[in-house]
Amino acid sequence: MANYKDYMLFDKLPHTWCAGCRHGIILRAIAEALALQEIDKHKIALVSGIGCFGRVDDYLDINCMHVTHGRALPAATGVALGNPELKVLVTMGDGDCATIGGNHLINTARRNINVTAVVANNYNYGQTGGQYSGTTPEGSITSTSPYGHVEQGFDICKLAEAAGAPFVARTTPFNPVQMRELIKQGMQTKGFALIEVMDTCPTHFGRLNKFGNAAQMLEKVQGMTVPIQKASTMSEEEMEGKFATGILVNRFREDYYTRYQRIIEQLNGKGNVQ
Amino acid sequence: MNGEKRFIEGNIAIVEGALAAGARFYAGYPISPSSEIAEYSSQMMPKVGGIYVQMEDEISSMAALLGASVAGKKVYTATSGPGISLMQENLGLGIMSEIPAVIIDVQRSGPSTGAATKPAQGDMMQVRWGTHGDHSIIALSPASVQECFDLTVCAFNFAEKYRTPVYLVTDESIGHLRETVTIRTLAPDEVIDRRKPDKGTVPEMFRPYNYDTDMPAAMPPFGSDEYLSRTTGSTHDEKGEFCPTPENINRITHYLTNKIEAHADDICMTKKFFLDDAEIVFIAYGCAVRSAKSALERLREEGVKAGLLQLQTVWPFPEKEVRKVLSSVKMTVVPELNLGQIAGEIQKYNDYGCKIVRANRVDGNLITPEEIMQTVKEAM
Amino acid sequence: MKTEIVLSGVGGQGLISTGEIIGEAASIYENLFATLTSSYGSETRGTFTKSDVILSDTNINYPIIENPDVILCLAQVAYDRYQDKFLDHTLVIYDTELVVPAPNARGRHIGYAFKQMSLDLGNQAVANTIALGVILKHTGLLKRESVASAVTDRFAAKPNVIGINLKALDMGISLE
Repeated sequence: MANYKDYMLFDKLPHTWCAGCRHGIILRAIAEALALQEIDKHKIALVSGIGCFGRVDDYLDINCMHVTHGRALPAATGVALGNPELKVLVTMGDGDCATIGGNHLINTARRNINVTAVVANNYNYGQTGGQYSGTTPEGSITSTSPYGHVEQGFDICKLAEAAGAPFVARTTPFNPVQMRELIKQGMQTKGFALIEVMDTCPTHFGRLNKFGNAAQMLEKVQGMTVPIQKASTMSEEEMEGKFATGILVNRFREDYYTRYQRIIEQLNGKGNVQ
Repeated sequence: MNGEKRFIEGNIAIVEGALAAGARFYAGYPISPSSEIAEYSSQMMPKVGGIYVQMEDEISSMAALLGASVAGKKVYTATSGPGISLMQENLGLGIMSEIPAVIIDVQRSGPSTGAATKPAQGDMMQVRWGTHGDHSIIALSPASVQECFDLTVCAFNFAEKYRTPVYLVTDESIGHLRETVTIRTLAPDEVIDRRKPDKGTVPEMFRPYNYDTDMPAAMPPFGSDEYLSRTTGSTHDEKGEFCPTPENINRITHYLTNKIEAHADDICMTKKFFLDDAEIVFIAYGCAVRSAKSALERLREEGVKAGLLQLQTVWPFPEKEVRKVLSSVKMTVVPELNLGQIAGEIQKYNDYGCKIVRANRVDGNLITPEEIMQTVKEAM
Repeated sequence: MKTEIVLSGVGGQGLISTGEIIGEAASIYENLFATLTSSYGSETRGTFTKSDVILSDTNINYPIIENPDVILCLAQVAYDRYQDKFLDHTLVIYDTELVVPAPNARGRHIGYAFKQMSLDLGNQAVANTIALGVILKHTGLLKRESVASAVTDRFAAKPNVIGINLKALDMGISLE
């Protein structure tokens, strides 16, 4: 039996994240998901972007490619198409995934590239002092919306679903067991999988919006969630301000590489010409 | 020359060069006047078992290239000035992470949308300094369709040998010039493949980066059975782990410049025409070479001892050969389809009082041999 | 030996294709050097285009035409734009229904109703190939067989148009 520790670099600990930050829980959930699948670590590639959560690769003993802000998904597209035997993980924050890299999110989902994205959505740019991002809720106070945010935030899961992702899920750091199961299932999906973690940033977002201490903030986030089984029975009014958790989308769509491989085989006389 | 004789345009010859060099991954975003490279690549890649993917923009194209290269493929993309602008951040990632890739810039008139179907050579400094931070760069510039093929092969070889992104900088006129060309099948010793860790390297002792010499470390692909690897655009140590100490920042900055500049003799390719007795020498690259050669022939017919130094490598700058010219003749003439980007660079090395005359044209047309001759006669 | 040929007209008349056929016939079947450059706008159809073809038995440097030996004009806009480039020895070949030659223009003018002749042949797209035949006849540049082989190569993916192009070529060659 593989252990999550087999995939970790313990000599790099303690990690750099703030007290009360939940990125460590996501890190462990990723390592546990790898252990649960007993994947040969040589066959895993992790592509990470920039931001607090972009540092997650520092602590993992697998192939890691640390890229520029917002470009983790296109870089992972290259990795996945370059070597289809690799299990490719992508770690991003809400800046990487839904703001500077938002166009890459919808196109990677549409193209259906075989990668699993784990998104730590903490609703602000934590690493650079808590400025607002593309997911910051309307009315929130951040270091660049001191009078209240006038924009509406993206729903990352809905974006991914609308763009065609075959697997979309949401969880919170309150539920690490569900988190690792969702990451595992995402990785077993052939095609684009996205797991959004409704994350907490007590240092900036929580403090400025008076969410209390780190534990209170996590409870508040958890309180905004409804398991998908229950959510599907609730009306739109009842779901106002609530977020469904669990597997939101799970459907079959053939991935880019499989389709392209068929063209390669046809051109080289190994397959049936359609 | 053995091989297949064809009458094709420069853009197509570039793809043939990439295929011959072993390229098996293309990610790009179509843009005039480079689009034939994308189109022909989309046609050829699956035939050779490679992959063509059209990305949502040039930013993601460059990112995907680096990803596929890390996964073990030889990779390339093609674009023009506006796309080069968008690629710059991830080009820097490629330099810092030391990831081989070939970027083809089919230059057009600019800035911005400019005149999208007209040739120019206005990107020479953009390819040199477009990404931020100190670094060196390799850029080759073909002057014929045959050189589009040959120099593309060189670009891949340099990218692999020096573990770095390499530019092939051409322009609309060469990209769309159809010409007689020989497409060769390359001998095995003409192709440089990526260096793998030496036999017997213990996986735990393998380091993806090496700063002790001016040559890069071996680069096993992600997914190799033995070695785990890391690449990062953050300042890193030999293990590829974040290391922003002043000493480390300093040594990496020097290393990234040195690994190219210290090998200028290997990388700098020039061609010399009638230099032995020349009194007036043209220094040219890319399409301007063609005009300069015609001007040279006509001047010789008129009894003027003209010569030509063609820069096939523009970056790193062929300082040694340029100094030889500057120190031995009274006048050099630099024809360019810009306002003197390389003439200014030549000036940097002019410790000899050589007269440097610029012959520039920036109206979207090629500079004519007559214009160059006129410039020479006025300066004489 | 060096011959400079300008092929001019409007987008969609297949002039780049004609240039490719000449270049391919010369470089592959007659061991000559050839270059072809085209100027074009951002529109694919309908506006002025020209292709410069140079054939030589030595390396060709500057690929833009300076002293045209042959100018094909398949549109008035092309003729008007080129008129000041005509030299006394220039062979000006034009479509009599699409171009009105200038009264005092230099050059040896030869006109045929290429478009109408192509319609008579059953395919408007071969007017350029008839004109190519005329160029061959009056210049003796390339062997008919070389050009026919280049035509066959050029349309390898569309074998049903090879026949009509060869017919058009021979029609041009045989025009008095």
